[in-house]
Amino acid sequence: MWKFLLPMGAFVALAVLFAFGLNPNRDIHALPSPLIGKPAPLFNLTDVMDPSRTVSNAALKGQVYVLNVWGTWCVACRQEHEALLDIARQNVLPIVGLDYMDQRDKAQQWLTQLGNPYSAVAFDTDGRTAIDWGVYGAPETFLVDGQGRVIYKFISPMTAEVWQHDFLPRIQAARRSGA
Amino acid sequence: MKRTAALAALGLAVLLGAAFAASSAPAQSARALDAYGQLEDPTLQARFERITAQLRCLVCQNESIADSNVELASDLRRQVREMLLAGESDDAIFKFMTDRYGEFVRFKPPLEAKTLFIWGAPFVMLLLGVLIVYRIVRQRSRLPLDDEPAPGPM
Repeated sequence: MWKFLLPMGAFVALAVLFAFGLNPNRDIHALPSPLIGKPAPLFNLTDVMDPSRTVSNAALKGQVYVLNVWGTWCVACRQEHEALLDIARQNVLPIVGLDYMDQRDKAQQWLTQLGNPYSAVAFDTDGRTAIDWGVYGAPETFLVDGQGRVIYKFISPMTAEVWQHDFLPRIQAARRSGA
Repeated sequence: MKRTAALAALGLAVLLGAAFAASSAPAQSARALDAYGQLEDPTLQARFERITAQLRCLVCQNESIADSNVELASDLRRQVREMLLAGESDDAIFKFMTDRYGEFVRFKPPLEAKTLFIWGAPFVMLLLGVLIVYRIVRQRSRLPLDDEPAPGPM
């Protein structure tokens, strides 16, 4: 009996492991964020468009909002820009931008030429805010609920489908629970 | 047959010895140079090198932040350096990193309940291997020898 069960068991275990490990849809570089369910790190940075103004997420408490990390050096950010503009047009919630490892003039040029989907864009000069949010690339998109907790993180270019399937239901749930 | 068992035991001992020698040898690798230069206090510099070698660069994932040249690694080295200068403990620095980037940021995960499996698996595998070798040797020792002439009248 064991002569049969042991290799069979080993085979099934390997098959399950491979089905998970070799799944082509799994992004091996996307890591789970330890921030989920935790209070969103606070920041108080200058505005990309107007350095004399500050952008702070403490002011957004009570609102569900999105934080989108991007940079003009990031090709995938260029790719998701149209999708962000579309989402911004739906006017569902504020999209706050975090401009990461970037130069201010380039960022301003980008927003003027391509359109600005953001309610405000914070300029992370030295990458400290990005470290607080556990950012290790761009684009990364966080969803924060009304109590100021991070409820979701998406690593990859935003698309209409991702917004529809991953973000909208969570936004509605967060609003229903009054959070 | 005793000879086979002795050989297997010897092989195992050599392997174990090599494994221990490898684990205790200091890791030699080139360190990325920072614009900041070395820390003045040599004990702080030693801690800086040890800590940054144990933190994963999440952009390149198989490099430590000590070895990597990407901007994030340099930002994280700056963070480690500042925390060391502020008198923070090694544990506080590792906690700062895992709070933000998750356990994956550590090359050497701490030994605790949820990491017991990854720490224990090599020993379980070793035990399993020894058991299998033992069983094979036992089984074969019961077989008749075929390379010696069978006893009996010639």
